[in-house]
Amino acid sequence: MLEGLYAASSGMEAQQNEFNAISNDMSNLNTPGYQATEVGFQDLLYSNGGISTGTHVVTGAGSSSTIVGRSQAQGALQHTGRSLDVAIEGDGYLQVRRPDGSIGLTRNGALETNAQGQLLNQDGDPLVPPITVPKDVDADQVTISSTGTVTAGKRTLGRIQIVTVPAPDQLQPVGDSMFSVTAGSGATRPATGSGLQQGALEGSNVEIATAMGDMINAERSYQMSSQAVQYQDQMLQIANQLRK
Amino acid sequence: MDAGLYIAAQGMLAEQVRQTQLSNDLSNASTPGYKPDQAEQQSFDSLLLQNTSTGQPIGTLQTGVTIDKVVTDTSPAPLHSTGRSLDFGIAGDGYFAVRTAQGVRYTRDGQFSSNAAGQLVDSQGDPVLSQSGATIPVGAKGTVAGSALGVFTVSGAAKQGDNLFSGAASGRATGIVHSGELEDSGTDPIQTMTDMIASLRAYQAGQSAIQAIDQTMQENASSTGSLGG
Repeated sequence: MLEGLYAASSGMEAQQNEFNAISNDMSNLNTPGYQATEVGFQDLLYSNGGISTGTHVVTGAGSSSTIVGRSQAQGALQHTGRSLDVAIEGDGYLQVRRPDGSIGLTRNGALETNAQGQLLNQDGDPLVPPITVPKDVDADQVTISSTGTVTAGKRTLGRIQIVTVPAPDQLQPVGDSMFSVTAGSGATRPATGSGLQQGALEGSNVEIATAMGDMINAERSYQMSSQAVQYQDQMLQIANQLRK
Repeated sequence: MDAGLYIAAQGMLAEQVRQTQLSNDLSNASTPGYKPDQAEQQSFDSLLLQNTSTGQPIGTLQTGVTIDKVVTDTSPAPLHSTGRSLDFGIAGDGYFAVRTAQGVRYTRDGQFSSNAAGQLVDSQGDPVLSQSGATIPVGAKGTVAGSALGVFTVSGAAKQGDNLFSGAASGRATGIVHSGELEDSGTDPIQTMTDMIASLRAYQAGQSAIQAIDQTMQENASSTGSLGG
């Protein structure tokens, strides 16, 4: 009797998830290296339609949505001219050591140095493997090649590694543009065919037109499911008024 | 008792099932590769009425309707571009195959990912199969050629949830795999909303019929035999 009510409301919940994901994407339109969320929809279990129907009649329990992963599309490169800004062209992530000792992956390449000259990301997490800019070298004199080799004058200081995992969709987001490796994602390995661009940052890969379109779509679907809830409610009311 | 009471109630129960099924369709208006259902009504066997004193046949009486079966409309829906490299859509007929713990299942939802072992998997983590039934490796660049995916003709496709169908596969289907695209949901929201309104009104009509019969019976019980008004 109430199955239809729940089938309809599950549609509202699924669209609500989509809505939340798009809102998060929209608020990160200007976050360097941000990767847009991808939402997937599924139908739910089917069960027998009840005593008043034939044995082969099944009705569905509605829909659900889950976050499938993050968009791997390339964001637009924004020229900054800052020598410690790097953008990744192609797949992959920069590797940093997070405060809890775990490895973090990010595409946000706005790097800084600390008092010891160590290269850090914006959250203050050092790159892995660590690279130290000597005290006598000004940050402006640091050159980063497309393969990640960091040099100051004739001195090679280290190499920034671009890594990826077999299943990027299974990475655990731990902030707006930081991910941690999980058992599902597999261990990191060097990314192939990707390069670094010095003096630029990768913009968020959220496509505003697509996001707006998805939002309108989600809103309309939400509205229709809510209408379906009301129809179900009216039917229950009609049934309740059988005996006046 | 009056047979009409039960006939009207049967009609209401049938509309209830139809409304549940329409809610499910509408709920899945965003589900890629979703196939909408169609409830088929069937009338119960009719009764032959006889004159109680002479036994003379009067004619038949229908005894209401029931939802006999739900048919899934498996016709292909249009594909839309997503730009995601591991999204696949089948233009034309056929299903992708995935190996689940319960056996091989089929789906038209091509929103796939890679797993830690570098295999192409569906949203439940079950491996997608090639035409020969093998798992499909994801390339170093995170892409898979559409031609690597198996497309199967499936007979007796029945919905299992999670966008999966059970059924018996028999060879290659004619559909072409497009990568970077997903199949739309087969639900037509406008048609579904219209059907819901129609169903709601039919339900209401059933209620009115029951109330009318109830009133008649009440008159019969309370007024028969009383004199004058």
